[in-house]
Amino acid sequence: MKKKPTRNMSLRSHIVFAGFCLFLLVLIGNLFWIQIVKGEEYRLKAEKNQLSDTVVNAHRGTIYDSNMKIIAQSASAWLVYINPSKISSEEQKTLLVDGFAELFELDRETLEKKVNRSESGYEKIIGKIDNSQKAQLEEYIKAHKDQKLSMIVGIDPDTKRYYPLGSFASTVVGFTGSEDTGRSGLELQYNTQLTGKSGRIITAKNALAGDMPNDYATTYDATQGYSLQLTLDEVIQYYLEQQLAQAVEETQAKYAYGIVMDIKTGAILGMSTMPDYDLNYPYTISSSRVLEELEKIEDEQKKKEEKLNAQFSQWRNRVISDTYEPGSVFKLFVAAAALEEGIMTPETTYDCSGSIKVANYYQHCFNHKSHGTQTVAQALPNSCNTFFITMGQRMGKEKFMKYFKAFGFTEKTGIDLPSESVPVAGKTYYDVDRMGIAELSSASFGQTFQITPIQMINAVACIGNGGKLMTPYLVSKILDENGNIVSETTPTMKRQVISEGTAKLMAEYMEQVVVWGTAKNAYVAGYHIAGKTGTSEKLNVPGENIASFAGFAPANDPKIAILIAVDEPQGLTTGGAVAAPVAGRIFENVLAYLNIDPQYNDEELAKATVTAPNLVGKEVSKAKLEAAGFTVKVVGGGSTVVSQTPAANQPMPKNGVVVVYTEETAQKETATVPDLTNLTVSEANRIAVNAGFNIKISGTTQSGGEVLSYKQSVAKDTVADQGSVITVYFRSSVNVQD
Amino acid sequence: MASAKKKKTSNIFFAKGGMDVTFFLLLMTIVTIGLVMLFSASYTYSYYNRNGDSTYIFRRQLLFTLLGLAGMYAISRIRYEYFRLAAVVGVFVSVGLLLLVLVLPEYKPGFKRWINLGFTTFQPSEIAKIGLILILAYLLEKDYKSVTGKVPSDLVFRISNGKITVYQSFTKVILYGLLIIVFAGLVYLENHLSGTVLMLGIGIIMMFLGEVRYKWFVVAGGVILVAVIFLVANPHVLEKYAGERITAWLDKDYDPTGARWQTNNSLYAIGSGGFLGAGLGQSKQKHLYVSEPQNDFIFSIVCEELGFVGASLIILLFALLVYRGIHIGLRANDRFGALLAMGISFQIGIQVALNIAVVSDLIPNTGISLPFFSAGGTSIFILLCEMGMLLSVSRSNKAKE
Repeated sequence: MKKKPTRNMSLRSHIVFAGFCLFLLVLIGNLFWIQIVKGEEYRLKAEKNQLSDTVVNAHRGTIYDSNMKIIAQSASAWLVYINPSKISSEEQKTLLVDGFAELFELDRETLEKKVNRSESGYEKIIGKIDNSQKAQLEEYIKAHKDQKLSMIVGIDPDTKRYYPLGSFASTVVGFTGSEDTGRSGLELQYNTQLTGKSGRIITAKNALAGDMPNDYATTYDATQGYSLQLTLDEVIQYYLEQQLAQAVEETQAKYAYGIVMDIKTGAILGMSTMPDYDLNYPYTISSSRVLEELEKIEDEQKKKEEKLNAQFSQWRNRVISDTYEPGSVFKLFVAAAALEEGIMTPETTYDCSGSIKVANYYQHCFNHKSHGTQTVAQALPNSCNTFFITMGQRMGKEKFMKYFKAFGFTEKTGIDLPSESVPVAGKTYYDVDRMGIAELSSASFGQTFQITPIQMINAVACIGNGGKLMTPYLVSKILDENGNIVSETTPTMKRQVISEGTAKLMAEYMEQVVVWGTAKNAYVAGYHIAGKTGTSEKLNVPGENIASFAGFAPANDPKIAILIAVDEPQGLTTGGAVAAPVAGRIFENVLAYLNIDPQYNDEELAKATVTAPNLVGKEVSKAKLEAAGFTVKVVGGGSTVVSQTPAANQPMPKNGVVVVYTEETAQKETATVPDLTNLTVSEANRIAVNAGFNIKISGTTQSGGEVLSYKQSVAKDTVADQGSVITVYFRSSVNVQD
Repeated sequence: MASAKKKKTSNIFFAKGGMDVTFFLLLMTIVTIGLVMLFSASYTYSYYNRNGDSTYIFRRQLLFTLLGLAGMYAISRIRYEYFRLAAVVGVFVSVGLLLLVLVLPEYKPGFKRWINLGFTTFQPSEIAKIGLILILAYLLEKDYKSVTGKVPSDLVFRISNGKITVYQSFTKVILYGLLIIVFAGLVYLENHLSGTVLMLGIGIIMMFLGEVRYKWFVVAGGVILVAVIFLVANPHVLEKYAGERITAWLDKDYDPTGARWQTNNSLYAIGSGGFLGAGLGQSKQKHLYVSEPQNDFIFSIVCEELGFVGASLIILLFALLVYRGIHIGLRANDRFGALLAMGISFQIGIQVALNIAVVSDLIPNTGISLPFFSAGGTSIFILLCEMGMLLSVSRSNKAKE
C-alpha cells in the first residue's frame, strides 16, 4: 500500500513549483515597477501625506518716518481654516456656518460651499482676525464641545497691517491687500523688501495629524521683511496735511496737494494729496462731500461703479500721477534759461503793453494789465506774460526745449513711488519738430504742455540748489529686523542745469515775487521766501483752475522747497490768492521746526514778536518795572505775582498785554474774542489790545491798504483768558493774479 | 552537514533520523527576519494603540514563536506515519471548528473568522488548512490506484444494476472535489475570501500532486477562469465586503480614504523604499498610514525599509524554502509523507505569493497574512507546528539513509 513517490509526482511538483516561481517573478517585476520605475512618484505622494508643511509668515517690515516714528506696522493676527474632510455630520456643518457667519460676518453661501467640500483638507475661512475675535471663536468651539468642532477648525498665526497714524501720508505710504502684499504707494514700490521671505516648518505627521514621535522636523526660518526709514518728517507732513485739508475746506476745492522737499538732497520731507483716506480702512470713502454725492445716486450698479472710482480717486497720489499745465510758475525756467543763455541780462528791459501779437492773435497779461518797462526782476513779480513770450521767442524753440529737457520735464523724476506719470513727446508736450511760434509763445508762460507736480517741485528745487537737479526720493534707509542698515540712499544729482550764478539771481527775483509780487501771500516775517505763483486752466474741466505756488526758503541759503496746488478752488481762484497763503503758513511752521532762525528787517522787527517776561514770584512794582514796554494789568490786591497770562516765554507782540494775578484764588480775567478778520495790521492790533488780547501776525504785512486779515486762531465770540495770544493771518488781495 | 543523531534507537513512535538542516536553517532565517520586521512594523502601532507600549505586539509574537518552535521540535520528533491518524481526526476537527465559528458571536463585526479564547484569538481556517492537506494526502495515497488506474466504481455499478460503468478515477475526484468545496465553502461563509481562495488552491495543488488526471485540471482551470472573469465583471454578486474590495482593486481612484486607503498607502510605502530602502526601522508609512502595518500589509513596510533588494531577497528565501520542502517530500518514504511535505510547502508558497500580490495591488485586497512575518500568535504557532510535520518527514528520510 505504501508507495514511494513516483517520477510522475516529481514531475508534477516541479511543474507547480515552476508555476510558483513564475508568479514570484511577476511579483518581483511588479515590485521593480513600483519601487524603481514609479518609486519617486509614490515617494512624493507618501511625503505629501506625511509631511505637514506649515508656512511661517515673515513679518512685513515697518515703515518709519525720518524720526523713527512708526507709520506702518505688522502685528500678529490669526487665520481661521477648516478641514472639511473631517466633518462627519450635518449638525457640524450647520454649527460651523452659523458660527462663522455670526462671528465674522461672512457670507453664508460661501461658507456652505466650503463646509461641503468634503474631499478638501483645507479651506481658509478668514484671515487677519485679532485676539478678541480668536477668543470668541474658541469660546464658540468650546460651547459646542459635544460636536467636536476642534477636530475641524484650525487657527494659524497670521499678520495684520496697522497704520497707527491713520490717514498720515496715506497716498504716499499706500496700503496692503490680501496676502499682505502692497497695493499702492511705498507698500507697493518696496513690496519685495518689506515682505521678507516666509519660512516653513516641515514636520512628519502620522495619519492622525499628530507628530511622529521620533521623527524629524525641518525648520526654514522666516526672513523678516526689511523696514523702511522714510525721508518724510512726521511734523512737516503734519503741517502740510493740516494746511492742505484746511485749503480744501476753505476753498471748496476738489483736491489740494503739496510737497515739501529738502533742496540739497532731493529728499521728500512731506507729500500729501487731500482729501486722503485712513490707511486702516482704505475702502471707506473718507470725503464726506464724495459720500454725499454717492448717496444721491439711485441706480445701484452706477453707485457701485462710482464708489469704485471714488476709492481709486482717494488712493491716487496726484502729486506724481496727475498732470497739469503749470502756468506762470513755469516762467521761472524761461527766465533762468534766458539768463543762462545770455538771451537777456538782469538789465535787459522790455516794455509791456498788456498784450502781444503772436501769429494771428493776441496774447494778454492778466486782466490786460500793462506792466510798462520792466527788467526780469519786475517781470517775474508781475508775472508778465508778454515779457516771457518775448524772451521765449528770442530764445527759440531749440534752446527752449534744451532747458525744458534739462529741468527734467521730459522724463520721470525717478522718485521711488509707483505710477509716476510718464511724459510723452507729442502728447504731454510739443517736441521741437512740432513746435511752432504759437506753441513756443504759449509754452513760455506755461501753457500747451502738461507736467506733474513732482517734476515742478524738483525743477524749482534745482534753482534753489544752485542749478543742480536732484532725484527726489522718499526712502532714506532700508533696515533689517535688528535695525542694521541694509542700504542707504545717497542723494543723486542728475545734472547741473544752470550755473550757480544764474540760480542765485533767480532766487533773488523769486524773493521779490514774494515780497511784493503775486506770491506776496506766501510771505513770512523774518524769512526770505522765494517763490512763484501760477494759475492754470483745467483743459478738461472748463472754467476750473489749478492754483499753485512753488518756491523755496531761505532764498539766500535755500533749505526747503514747497509746492502747493489747489485743484478747482471756488471763489478766489488764483495761485497768489489761494495757494500762496497755504505755502506761507507751511513755510512759517516748517522753517521754525527746522530751527532756522528768523532774521527780521527793521520793519518786521517793529511788529515782531518777543517772549513774555517771567513775572511770577516778583513783587508787583518790580514786575511792572521788568515788563516795561508791555501793558501790565494787575488783578487782585496781593503784593506778589502768583500767575500771569500769557505764560512766561510765550511769544507775544512787543507792546502786548500781560495780565498778572496777585492772589492764588483770583478768577482768571476773561473776555470775548473780537472779530479780527478783514482788518489791517494796525486795526487788528488795536481791537485786540482793547479787548485785552495779544495778536501774533502771520502772513504778509507789506505796508499799504491792501493787506487784510482773513483768519484768526481763536474764533470770534469765544471767551478766552485776557492776555492770551491770538494768531491773526494777513494776506494781500491786490496784484496776486498771474 | 551530517547532523544525524543516532543515539536514539529505533522507536515506533519517535522519528529516528536527524532533521533536514538546510530547511531548518532557511526556516530559522525567515523566522528571524520575520520577527525583526514585525518588531519594526508593529512598534508604532503598539505605540499609538497601547499607550506607548511599543513592544507589546512584538513581545506576544516572540512568545508564540518560542512556543511554536518548541511545538515544532516536538512534532518533528513524532514519526509522521502517525499523522495519518491526525488526518482522519483532523477532518472532523476542522469542519467542526469551521461550523462553530459561524455560530459564535462575531469577534470583529461583520467577520466570523475568529474564535476568541480570551488570552488570544485564533482562526479555525488556520487549522482547516493543515486539516485539508492532511486528509487529502491521506486519501490520495490510499486511493492512488483507483485515482490513477481504471477501477470501476462498485457503488455506481451496483446502483445502476451494472448498466453504468463509472471509473473510480471519476468518482473519487468528485468526492475530493466535494471535500475541498466543503472546506472552501465554510471558509467563504466566514466572509473570508482569501481563505477560500487559499483552500481551493491547496486542494487543487494536492490533487495535482496526487496524480489526478490532467484533464480534470483543464476542466477546473476553465471553470475557475470563467468564475474569476464573472466575479471581476460583477463584483456585486459577492458579499458586500468582498465585492467592494474587487471594485476598489479595479478602480484605482475608488474611495481613497476608505476602501483603497490601505492599498494606496501600501503602494506609497513600497514606492518610498526605492532600490535600497529607507533602512531598518525608518519607515514613515507605518505611522498609521498603512493601517495595521504589522498584519497583512507588513510586506509593504519591509519594502519601504529594506528596498527592492531586501524584498527580493526575502522572496528568494521563501522560494528556496518551498523548494527545499518539495525536495523533502520527494525523498519521503511514501506518498503520504511526500504529499504532506509538499502540501505544507505549497501552502506557505501560495500564502506568500498571494500576500505580496495583495500588498502590491496585483490582486484585490482580500486579507491574507504573510507567513512568519505577520503578527498573530496562533497563526505562527500553527505554522511552526506544520513546519514540525515537514521536519518529521525529513527525519524519516534521513533515517532511511
